Amino acid sequence: MLGQDGGGETHAVSLRWRDGREESLSVGPDETVVDAAGAAGVGLPYGCLYGACGTCTGKLLSGDVEHAAEPRALKPRHRDVGYVLLCLAEPRSACRIEVGARVQADLVPNPWK
Amino acid sequence: MSDAETPDSDTHSHADHADHEHGVSGPGYTTPAAMRTESGREQTAFVMGLRVGMDVDGPDFVGVVDVDPDSPTYAELIDTVEMPNKGDELHHFGWNACSSSCHAEGMARDHLIVPGQRSSRIHILDASDPRELSIEKVIEPEEVFEHDLSAPHTVHCVPGGKIVISMLGNSDGELPGGFLQLDQEDFSIDGHWETDLGEMEMNYDYWYQPRHNVMISSEWAAPKTYYPGFDLDDVEAGKYGDSIHIWNWETREHEATLTFGEEGLIPLEVRMSHNPEETQGYVGAALSSNVIRFFEEEGGWDWEVVIDLDSRDHPDWDMPVPPLITDLLVSLDDQYLFFANWLHGDVRMYDVSDSANPRLVDRVWAGGNFGDRQEVAGHEIHGAPQMLQLSRDGKRLYWTTSLFSSWDNQFYPEIGEHGSLMLKADVYPDEGRMELDEEFVVDFGDAPGGPARAHEIRWPGGDCTSDVWQ
Ligand code: FES
Repeated sequence: MLGQDGGGETHAVSLRWRDGREESLSVGPDETVVDAAGAAGVGLPYGCLYGACGTCTGKLLSGDVEHAAEPRALKPRHRDVGYVLLCLAEPRSACRIEVGARVQADLVPNPWK
Repeated sequence: MSDAETPDSDTHSHADHADHEHGVSGPGYTTPAAMRTESGREQTAFVMGLRVGMDVDGPDFVGVVDVDPDSPTYAELIDTVEMPNKGDELHHFGWNACSSSCHAEGMARDHLIVPGQRSSRIHILDASDPRELSIEKVIEPEEVFEHDLSAPHTVHCVPGGKIVISMLGNSDGELPGGFLQLDQEDFSIDGHWETDLGEMEMNYDYWYQPRHNVMISSEWAAPKTYYPGFDLDDVEAGKYGDSIHIWNWETREHEATLTFGEEGLIPLEVRMSHNPEETQGYVGAALSSNVIRFFEEEGGWDWEVVIDLDSRDHPDWDMPVPPLITDLLVSLDDQYLFFANWLHGDVRMYDVSDSANPRLVDRVWAGGNFGDRQEVAGHEIHGAPQMLQLSRDGKRLYWTTSLFSSWDNQFYPEIGEHGSLMLKADVYPDEGRMELDEEFVVDFGDAPGGPARAHEIRWPGGDCTSDVWQ
């Protein structure tokens, strides 16, 4: 059982890809979604691991997460509609999150199109 | 270790140095002409293969492509060396030693320095046998962040036993970045190369001319700005570069800034003439889609736009689309300049024998948003001409079609699903023309372990974009 030593609790997180695939994770206190996925053998995209690059972007469909550091890759307009950086995101409740490489591509559309 | 024992003839032997005017053998060629004429045809290519920003759950790799037409595995990816971690975004890479250290006895061009653009991790690969690459050392991101640097980009070996890497960010992925120096012997971090950043606020690529005591660097943006994708709001907010910087190569101080403004937005690759006597070069301004020539005159540096490309209307797009000049290179004899228009889909060849007056001589269309040809040898082209590499004899131009994972996902999303390609054109320098090789295609969509993006290309034995002459 996780969550014995941190201040917080372990939360159930369900991940959904756009192709319909789903996975469930238990994310421990002070653990990020990327770390928990790695430990469970679930592959999520990531790059810098410190909040600058946005490769790990997910969209929070329900629940609460807190970023462990400033999510520099997200602009206010992204945060307002629920995008989160999973390399920094620590769940504070049970969550459903849309994941996969294609979520990142939502952040900035082709400006000429 | 000497490069005489390397089995691949891509790496020239000591016999090439028999006429070495300095009587000292080393890792490079005494002159660009010696490299062009004595080095032999490229037989293998090192090509970056990336999984970043894809739903392929694997690390990036350095791929080895067979480019020897007499080999049964010609135009195939014959080996991939996977990195120990995921998420690096391998981008540009370089040698531990090049022609600029050719006077250094005992030095061999036998290690590749392979940085991760997103992870800030730096890998050192033993490449003494080009067909048997292996990872020798890994510098972890934390060691890089200790110097308040991130996002490693251009790697050059420099005289004096060092390797210098341009770094685009500080340890938070913000400005200004700087230059990281490594030791050529044990690949340990020395610290910053520069003694004074001066007015430099952004960094990207750089080139140097030791004979003229100058280094020139360009500007992309802060990692946190360009990493997530290209946003016009960021351009309007002045978050992208429009300048190049002149450095004193010896004192490592920033000396001057040349600001281009609207004419030079996002100046990326810097290529100076290979002839070490020359004091001029070109930089491609990606967004303005201009090629700018910079040159020294009466003791100072100046610039001028020498190629100015127009945006084009696309039937399905709202605004005229700029060509987006992403990569350029100069042939070893300094006669031809090649560059890629990644949004349009063509690669161009200019005669620059009169360096201030480039003359368009030919172009090839392949992929992109405007190209007629969207397929080569039955392989759909995902993306458009991007990173270029020219054979040392100037007769074969190779390129890959991916730019950067998040920008690919924005402009050519199919690369993220199907991977990208490596293509080639045959160049006829005497006739001033080139032709797409309809037979040559390396589809990184078929890479072992799943599709990958193909990025920078290097030849064992040195190339047009890594070697600098003293
Ligand atoms: S991995 Fe770069 S922001 Fe999360």
